[in-house]
Amino acid sequence: MIYGDRSCGILVTGATGKQGAFHIPLMNAYAHRVGGQGVTAGVTPGKQGQKVDGIPVYDSAKDALRAHDIQAGVIFVPSGGAADSVMELADAGLPLIITITEHIPVHDTLNALAYARIRGSTVIGPNCPGLLSPGEIKLGIIPDHLASRGRVGVVSRSGTLTYEVVHELTRAGIGQSTIVGIGGDPVIGQTFVDVLARFEEDPLTDVVVMIGEVGGSLEEEGAISTELPLVAYIAGITAPPEKRMGHAGAIVEGGSGDARSKIENLRAMGIPVASRPSEIPDLIRGLL
Amino acid sequence: MKLLEYEAKNILREYGIPVPPGIVITGKDQLENTEGLSDELAFKAQLEIGGRGKAGGILFGKRRDASRIAQDLFSRTIRGFRVERILVEKRLSIEQEYYLSVMVDRSSREPLILFALSGGVDIETLAQEQPEAIHKIHIPSLLTEVPPFAMRGLLRGAPKEIAPLVQKLYRVFRERDTILAEINPLAVTPEGIVAADAKLIIDDNALPRQGITQDRDLTPREREAEKYGFSYVELEGSIGVIGNGAGLTMATLDLIAVKGGKAANFLDVGGGADQERVMRAVRLVAGMPSVRVILVNLLGGITRCDDVARGVIEAGVPQSIVTRLAGTNEEEGKRILKGHGYEMYDTMEEAVHAAVEEAR
Repeated sequence: MIYGDRSCGILVTGATGKQGAFHIPLMNAYAHRVGGQGVTAGVTPGKQGQKVDGIPVYDSAKDALRAHDIQAGVIFVPSGGAADSVMELADAGLPLIITITEHIPVHDTLNALAYARIRGSTVIGPNCPGLLSPGEIKLGIIPDHLASRGRVGVVSRSGTLTYEVVHELTRAGIGQSTIVGIGGDPVIGQTFVDVLARFEEDPLTDVVVMIGEVGGSLEEEGAISTELPLVAYIAGITAPPEKRMGHAGAIVEGGSGDARSKIENLRAMGIPVASRPSEIPDLIRGLL
Repeated sequence: MKLLEYEAKNILREYGIPVPPGIVITGKDQLENTEGLSDELAFKAQLEIGGRGKAGGILFGKRRDASRIAQDLFSRTIRGFRVERILVEKRLSIEQEYYLSVMVDRSSREPLILFALSGGVDIETLAQEQPEAIHKIHIPSLLTEVPPFAMRGLLRGAPKEIAPLVQKLYRVFRERDTILAEINPLAVTPEGIVAADAKLIIDDNALPRQGITQDRDLTPREREAEKYGFSYVELEGSIGVIGNGAGLTMATLDLIAVKGGKAANFLDVGGGADQERVMRAVRLVAGMPSVRVILVNLLGGITRCDDVARGVIEAGVPQSIVTRLAGTNEEEGKRILKGHGYEMYDTMEEAVHAAVEEAR
């Protein structure tokens, strides 16, 4: 458990929306199975007094926190209001904020992350599936029936590709300690570096699978930052070259950020890189 | 979305950043409008690609030869792009070139300003050979302007008159939702300092609130894909691919290649794909004449497998469909598909294998 355990109370914003109302019962069903707190309150401005899956909905995060013991928030608010929701939860004092919402304008994300940093909140996402510590807690939308409890950490920029890898691990009898989707946007709260640092401190994690994509250099930065044994998989070998971001992108990010150069860089650091998801279990066994 | 040079320069001008006097033409009959610019002119093809100068997209000449030069440039195809618009500008006499840009820095999660005392086309070589020659300053995101100390550090060795231009470019960057605002070169001329070339890339997620609609040349299928919010790219092969999430869809394409197959397209239906969207996606891909088999590889997070299954069936296309579903409401999705005799696989590996075999 690197971000929270079953005792963690969860707040959901955008609770009465389609996605919020769909995923609150799934998070609660999981909490019920593992003996956790689950979602204890929801927030949708103007909907105070309503209930979703038996959970009370409040107008604001502060109202919810006055009535409930809550340590983490999960945001399903649509893109126009999601950055505001991050700031509201940070201001209310929530230590952990998971932002599921995609398509948030990047300048809104920049502001929200800066605000959250000032308030001392940790933000995962946006545009992410959240995290799952099998047998402990589900914060977000990772399909829990694909996962199994064990000692391999998973950290990924992707959503569904993460599920694919978790599915392969579980089928191969390799359980997971915590699965974290850090999000696919150019600007995200927790990066590979941050999550790997948590895994390094985690007595329940022996080895980590890092799943990357084309673009940027976050994978290389993560790999350099940790002593943990890593297995990597990078999607996008066949992707058309990403449109380069002017000279500035090349100056700041060095290489082209395409999948092949990422794979070469990681292999040069001695990290085994799978050429397809189904190779990951064998590469992990090689490290254990 | 990358703006064309003249669109970027219009925005810079709005913010008080000097740009060379110029006019955009779409045909040489509009050259009369360029009277009064200068006797010495620059003709710059307006293209989405970079490096157009080296590729023959910029010509210089006298006003009396303008018609011939414009005709020459309009007849060119530059790296696959036809020249449809030319920015005709006064030719600058440049004494000194600087490099200036503001970008979103992924690593620090903050705006980053870059400045170099020697700009121009070789800026990347300079960055490699003398990284210290590129001055870099991160600006905490909640600041609306560049603090004086940061400005002094950024512009060390450069004329003070550049400082207000940096401030204005930073405003452009923040207020116009750009992920990159680049002036290269920022040119010292006898008439003053001007943005000789400019590049603005607008955050795609902010296009609606910036009031920008993309009117690119789209094929009917690409237009359809855009209408439903699919990420869609057409490729050369015969295996139609539908996935959810860019990562999984990319990984599916990669695995097809590893197994010796060729994908006909990339289609990411996005999160929360419902029955209607899946049906549209299947019909869209099936509409490509090259597609012999369609591979639907979906893992449910926000997406519900039962919705997907109903969408696949509703599409009713002639090609065979290989499906792989896992995730939320998986059993229900599988039950529905089996009931209609569709091939269903438990793993991506098996599904891709089946699709590649079937396409042979």
